[in-house]
Amino acid sequence: MNLKNIRNFCIIAHIDHGKSTLADRLLEYTGTVTKREMKEQLLDDMELERERGITIKARTVSMQYKHGNESYELNLIDTPGHVDFQYEVSRSLACGEGALLLVDAFQGIEAQTVANAYNAMDQELHIIPVINKIDLTHARVDEIVEEIEQTLMMGEDEIQKVSAKAGLGIDELLDAVIGAIPPPEGDVDEPLQAMVFDSHYDEYRGVITYVRVMNGTIKKGQKIRFIGTESNHEVLELGQFAPQQRPCDELHAGQVGYLICNIKSLELVNIGDTVSTANNSAEPLEGYQPPKRMVYCGLYPSDGQDFKELRDALERLAINDPSFEFEPETSDALGFGFRCGFLGLLHMEIVQQRLEQESDIDLVQTAPNVTYELTLRNGETKEIHRPQEVPDSGDIEEFRQPIVKVNFVVPADYIGAVMKLCQDRRGVQKATEYLSPTRTMITYELPLAEVIYDLHDKLKSATRGYGTMDYEVIGYFPADLVRMDILVNGKKVDALSVICDRNDADRRGRAVCKKLKEEIDRHMFEVAVQAAIGSRVIARETVRALRKNVTAKCYGGDISRKRKLWAKQREGKKRMKSIGSVDIPQKAFMAVLDTGAEKR
Amino acid sequence: MLNVMHSNATETRSVYVHVPFCAHRCPYCNFTLIAGRPDLHEAYLDAIELELSRLPDVLEIDTLFFGGGTPTELNCQQLDRLFSIFQKKFQLIDGAEFSIEANPKDITSGLLEVIKRHGVNRVSLGAQSFDNQKLKVLGRDHQAIHIHQAMELLVPKVDSVSLDLIFGTHGESLETWHADLNQAIDLKPQHLSTYGLTYEKGTAYWKSLQSGALELTDEEVERNMYEHAIDHLTGVGFEHYEVSNFARPGFRCVHNQIYWTGKAFHAFGPGAARFVNGVREVNHRSTTKYLNDVLAGKSAVGEREELSPIDRARERLVFGLRRLEGVCIETLEEEVGFTVSEICGNEIDQLESRGLLQNQAGHIKLTRSGLLVSDSIWPRILVPNDG
Repeated sequence: MNLKNIRNFCIIAHIDHGKSTLADRLLEYTGTVTKREMKEQLLDDMELERERGITIKARTVSMQYKHGNESYELNLIDTPGHVDFQYEVSRSLACGEGALLLVDAFQGIEAQTVANAYNAMDQELHIIPVINKIDLTHARVDEIVEEIEQTLMMGEDEIQKVSAKAGLGIDELLDAVIGAIPPPEGDVDEPLQAMVFDSHYDEYRGVITYVRVMNGTIKKGQKIRFIGTESNHEVLELGQFAPQQRPCDELHAGQVGYLICNIKSLELVNIGDTVSTANNSAEPLEGYQPPKRMVYCGLYPSDGQDFKELRDALERLAINDPSFEFEPETSDALGFGFRCGFLGLLHMEIVQQRLEQESDIDLVQTAPNVTYELTLRNGETKEIHRPQEVPDSGDIEEFRQPIVKVNFVVPADYIGAVMKLCQDRRGVQKATEYLSPTRTMITYELPLAEVIYDLHDKLKSATRGYGTMDYEVIGYFPADLVRMDILVNGKKVDALSVICDRNDADRRGRAVCKKLKEEIDRHMFEVAVQAAIGSRVIARETVRALRKNVTAKCYGGDISRKRKLWAKQREGKKRMKSIGSVDIPQKAFMAVLDTGAEKR
Repeated sequence: MLNVMHSNATETRSVYVHVPFCAHRCPYCNFTLIAGRPDLHEAYLDAIELELSRLPDVLEIDTLFFGGGTPTELNCQQLDRLFSIFQKKFQLIDGAEFSIEANPKDITSGLLEVIKRHGVNRVSLGAQSFDNQKLKVLGRDHQAIHIHQAMELLVPKVDSVSLDLIFGTHGESLETWHADLNQAIDLKPQHLSTYGLTYEKGTAYWKSLQSGALELTDEEVERNMYEHAIDHLTGVGFEHYEVSNFARPGFRCVHNQIYWTGKAFHAFGPGAARFVNGVREVNHRSTTKYLNDVLAGKSAVGEREELSPIDRARERLVFGLRRLEGVCIETLEEEVGFTVSEICGNEIDQLESRGLLQNQAGHIKLTRSGLLVSDSIWPRILVPNDG
């Protein structure tokens, strides 16, 4: 296929704006899939994605399309639609020359749309704005056009108006894809450079690697090298997605497809890595980063015997998801479990759900924390994945935390509410932009730790569901951070420690103690809950001892009933964690996330 | 003295009979009973007779207890027949304890004649309170005067009379409770049972609690009332021998102690629970289901449960400890065939170190503070940590 007859593009969109439906429609209109074969949201084949209605893993498909007298190969590179997968998105974008920017005809531009559009522009992609759902009764197409003009500096003539669901405007859209998106550049005769933009694990065939060939040609039987992971393999099969795997003999510069090389572990195939020939490798392509986990939490089996089962389940999961990592850890409070790293909070939630769904395991999860960086007095630099690893404050030269740039798109009425939310979280305002008379984009820099826990929920409630946000990590910056410990009856509960801003510690400590007081049942003795920094106690609550708990009537018929009742109470307690004979319920381990925001 | 015991661990020498009838259901009560159905009394007697006829031989027993419901809801002829049915099947030994529960308003000279003739020597009277307002809150159909009248008839004629009292009702003060205790003591019963009011699922009170029409009595007030009852009653010479039970020396209820010491007992009537040969059975709780099944020749049993030896041992320890005199470790270990540490690990030591139990020369019993929170202790013994 001649390069000028190839178009590589992706669709970027906010969740629910209809990306999957549009992809389905393109497959149908190009004749790649017959209507009969069409399953709704064909490209999202993970059950979980379908359940949540969002795309997590990127998928790709090659469509053969006759336009005029010419045959074209249209490669759709699907991108994940969540901020946790920002890096994956950027790599997907790098594999194409164009992007369809999908905007809901009622909802309008959202924070994520803007972020991804700017990201695509930075990579010099040609953008085709597409207003979807124009057949909705509440569609406000003219206003959305204005928003697009305002935000992206694009003219109305460049905007496509479609209804993916009803099949309106799809032919025109395909015309625009061919007419407006430039064909790929690249030289078939140069040394091989192909970018890995996704992978998945097939039980029978090993790792399936998704690539866009930038230069050169890749052939069946060839010896190739993944430059980033420095591993060599032989290409056993290659091909394109149509949308099922369709083998071919070679992929040349400009094309998109898959490789099968009998690779048994996804760890060897990193997104953004460059594939070249095993000898005389080319230069790696720009922009590669090894996977970076931003959020960590402890996962423990809820009763001791499931440890092995949990380990097996985590291993199975990691095979399919290289961005998730785990290692065994021990907690005095929770026993044996695992420290797990995730790209972000949604990623964490997905992994947890899959564990429970696919493996039927009940989990105790500790409060998530971000990754911190430390420079010690002795010059050593450390990454901190859990609060317990924080050394004595005397040993710390500098404590750094990840800072993110957050874009909020909100109706003008809610600007004040959002600004308050950010100020409370030590945010620094960077910009305000008016997208239209009624919608504003506000940009803040905030500590990631303040963002991941509950900012999204808080934003939704502060803006009655109209506000959206998007963030990207801009780097690590010094901050005055401390580890706050929680003591229950004088005993430190390691799983309850958190890292927080020193200025925030008192308020946070009070909130956590108060929350724990609510979560911990009264015992036969008084239970003291304290928050401390080092040896200094900053907050205390007391769970009063039970004063009277005694059953009056207990005769022949009551004995069995009472015994069962008491035994059941005890079984319930066994699912808690007993620390110094204080029974702490699972929910309490999330109590440390209580930021006391309501009292601010 | 009534506590002449001939039983050993395997023999069943006690009988409980459940009479499920009441004039109406009190708003706090979740017992097996059927209110306002005197039309079922005869069928009930027929069914009891049939259930009883399935026992092979005439058996010798030490205690016989008619509880309810309200046994005295039956009229005198019906009670006469009920007692006769049992006397045909069971031979009460000399000095046996023969108890019935009664409603104050039902105590008449006619009734007294019947129960005396059959040898009833213990009556447990559902007095609940002497405060007419409190009695109204409790939904009782009697007033203080009826208790006085009943006691006038009972005390001279019956060896042992017991009064049930309830505390911790909505809005009740410590003074009201103190007055209740004093009036009870003045009537010279041999035995007293004091019950803190509880809100049970399925009762009218439960619904009122959910809807906010009633409020739980403050825990501190309840604790004061309970402690006051203990201090006051033991101060005037009653022995506090079980969580809720007080007796003049020599007048403990022999029958109830059978339950608490893990001994065997027969039981008849709807919802009645028996414990024979290590097996616990409960009859159908619905009176109509019980009547239909028994009269149709089917079994009365609705539930059956056989505990493992270790669970039986744990249960034995728990109910033994609800008796204030506690448990002799050596006797218990011999009886159940497990050591205390096999039964509940080191829980006893832990509870002792918290001052909830005390161990005096191999005899363990609740301390006062342990007694007050004892429901939080039992789960630890029934399902020990490393068990």
